[in-house]
Amino acid sequence: MALRRVLAVTRKALGQLAHDRRTVAFVLVVPLVLILVFGYGFGGQPTHIATVVVNEDQGTVGSALLAALPSGVLDLSTVSSNASAWSAVHSGADRAAIVIGPNFTAMAKAGSIQLTLYLDGTSPTVAGAVVSAVESALQSVFSSHGNGSAFRVTSDYVYGSSTTPFIDTIAPGIMALAILFITTVLSIIVLVRERSAGLLERLFASPLRASEFVAGHALSLTVVAVAQVAVLFTVALVIFHASFSGNVLFAYAVLVLFGVGNLGLGMLLSAAARSEFQAIQFIPLLLIPQILFAGALFPLEAIPVAFRPISVILPLTYAARAVQDILLRGWGVGGVALDILALGIYAALMLGGAILLVRRQA
Amino acid sequence: MIAQREPAAVAISVRHLTKRFGDTVALDGVTLDVPTGQVLGLLGPNGAGKTTLIRILLGLTRLTSGEAELLGRPAGSRDVRPRVGYMPQDLAVYVDLSVEENVELFGRLYGIHGTRLRAREEEVLELVQLSDRQRSVVAELSGGMRRRVSLAAALVADPDLLLLDEPTVGVDPELRAEFWEFFHRLTDRGKTVVLTTHYLEEANRADRVVFLHGGTVLAYGAPAELKHRTGTENLEDAFLHLVRAGSGRSG
Repeated sequence: MALRRVLAVTRKALGQLAHDRRTVAFVLVVPLVLILVFGYGFGGQPTHIATVVVNEDQGTVGSALLAALPSGVLDLSTVSSNASAWSAVHSGADRAAIVIGPNFTAMAKAGSIQLTLYLDGTSPTVAGAVVSAVESALQSVFSSHGNGSAFRVTSDYVYGSSTTPFIDTIAPGIMALAILFITTVLSIIVLVRERSAGLLERLFASPLRASEFVAGHALSLTVVAVAQVAVLFTVALVIFHASFSGNVLFAYAVLVLFGVGNLGLGMLLSAAARSEFQAIQFIPLLLIPQILFAGALFPLEAIPVAFRPISVILPLTYAARAVQDILLRGWGVGGVALDILALGIYAALMLGGAILLVRRQA
Repeated sequence: MIAQREPAAVAISVRHLTKRFGDTVALDGVTLDVPTGQVLGLLGPNGAGKTTLIRILLGLTRLTSGEAELLGRPAGSRDVRPRVGYMPQDLAVYVDLSVEENVELFGRLYGIHGTRLRAREEEVLELVQLSDRQRSVVAELSGGMRRRVSLAAALVADPDLLLLDEPTVGVDPELRAEFWEFFHRLTDRGKTVVLTTHYLEEANRADRVVFLHGGTVLAYGAPAELKHRTGTENLEDAFLHLVRAGSGRSG
């Protein structure tokens, strides 16, 4: 492999980008849009949940509990009976009802309470948010009303805390997913362009080797990926105010390594396809299983057990897990070594496969 | 002036070359010697096997049987590639790059760099009359200009052997005449030029021509000789005469 020819290809590819400002904008705007869409789409916590309240308490603790609910999570309206609270949820008008019985204060003083929630289970996320809002209000009320030992819930967070924003926990997966999208699609398209108008044929009639061709393009696309990961981190940190406890630069490097594997995959598919049209068709086939089964957006535990083994063969699994471990658990190289090894093997296999196949198209 | 490598008397040597694509025979026992320092016109209708022959010489297509050597080395071998310039029939330049970026890319791929690259670039752009457009993006140029960029890219590394597939399509007559003068200046310096063309009359300016027909060599010789042999006035008539004689013989 001659470095000069590799760099000639890299220079050419970057030159093509430089001439095409619209593509440059595209290359930087796509990660921006992806992380915004995924971030707002998946990363938000439910707020302003329509909730009805029946407060029949003859003492003050019931009102104190309502006052202690975290602000903004529940939109409370009051109804007068248990039955109308139930029907408010049943009709779909409200997502939840909080029913505080007549003896609430007395029960609280006696150290044992009865609180009824009517929940709309059609959205577990929303229901869970209601429960955790009520639990947090209960905790704060009973810690200030003495004698609360029977209700005290002790939470000991090994990672994060009860106040860790959801976006922090999902941002690593979103970033890995965004990199998968962008680098794969871009490299498929770059190689499809090379196939047109006899260019590949001409390049391979020259002293250029397939390995030099692939390495040159991999370099230029890596430059692009480095810029794209920068966009992702900027959005995560500035717009979503994500705060990571781990080493951001380390996570950055892992995402770029993942990007190199993906662009190898893109080149491999482009080289394997018989036509440009075929090459483009690989895109959904490649992305959708990884969105669902790699644990990037949804935890692996949320996938039926029978499907979980699929995650083992999806590169996104390793990238998402490594970036999550680095950013959320603060792990170093030792903790994610196996994931990095898997990503390295992925990159080597894909680039190697692209080298073997690309000449066939000339 | 670069020192010439040991000049082989024969730039291209093809022996009993056959190429099959499945049941289709694209080349059928072609034997041909192209002397160093000549312009060879490769003529024949579409499907005659011209492009297949060129692709085999470049190492882009594998031959089925027979032998093909360029500059004394097997076709497509690594040490011969840097010495062979190629201009495909398709445009094959990056339309989203400038003229000079295209020329420089191919210069670098063929191993020339720095000031030598700059000097060669200037020389070939002058030849194809694009010196004033070197910073223009190819997409902004006319069809004829684009072909001139493609030719410049084939020439920039000063190769010993040039394989040009339809280099003069879309080039106006005045510039076409200049191209031919240039091809002969190259052969004067010991270079060899093989080109295909649809303009049979311009093939009169080649030192030798090959008529390919149905994957076989119908005739090979100097244009004047072929016209004389067939008793015709021009190459087109000579070709038709040979085709008819050939089909008469076989049927």
